[in-house]
Amino acid sequence: MFERFTGDARRVVILAQEQARERDARAIRTEHLLLALWKVPGNGALVVLDSLSVSADAVRSAVDALDGYDGDDAASLGTLGIDLDEVRRQVEQAFGPGALDRTRAARGRGRRRSGGHIPFERAAKKTLELSLREALRLDHHFLGCEHILLGLLHDGSAARILRSLGVDQDAARVAVDELVGRRAG
Amino acid sequence: MSDATKVAAAASSRDPAVGLAAVASLRGLLESLEELQVTNARDQGWSWQQIAEALRVSRQAVHKKYRRFGF
Repeated sequence: MFERFTGDARRVVILAQEQARERDARAIRTEHLLLALWKVPGNGALVVLDSLSVSADAVRSAVDALDGYDGDDAASLGTLGIDLDEVRRQVEQAFGPGALDRTRAARGRGRRRSGGHIPFERAAKKTLELSLREALRLDHHFLGCEHILLGLLHDGSAARILRSLGVDQDAARVAVDELVGRRAG
Repeated sequence: MSDATKVAAAASSRDPAVGLAAVASLRGLLESLEELQVTNARDQGWSWQQIAEALRVSRQAVHKKYRRFGF
């Protein structure tokens, strides 16, 4: 799957692991991929994010405020018929925004216990697959950072953050297609 | 396969990785909800005894677990 990745896109994937490590995360999550975009200067995703008025600072503070519970938890609880988003919504209605994920119990469990290899969370892995699908859909014959950005807009915490910052999936697709067209022309 | 069918299939899965991960996430969620409710009860002036009774645990258990929160 990685053969179509550009050098920049590969670097983002590698640097996402750094982001996860710095944040003591037990898995590489979509928000780590998102943050890693800013670690590769001048890439296409940053051009698109800039055109959509999304700043590194806004994303960083959104990630800082994030989530003891990640996409893996949502998927696991889903197997029991528990809708984590619905639980979160109910709790936030009673106790305010971010209440569930701000609990000590939530934050403590997100922490990594030991050093070494950090695995990709399912949603993050899925993001890379979706990036490829986005590239194919736009008839682009390579996978760049801009396609990772489109992949990030599907699901997981990065998608929630980007949506909260007003990024619309279709608008982003148009912006990416224009960018790639410009670069080709 | 629809989402609902997938969920049902996973719930009845005998794959330990799936089942154990679900238990771990559920335990985390339980801890968060308990913490929120205990905090809220203390904020509203409930005694440890009252909280313990509502949670159906001993007063010592709940006090020991949450006294570090500095209520």
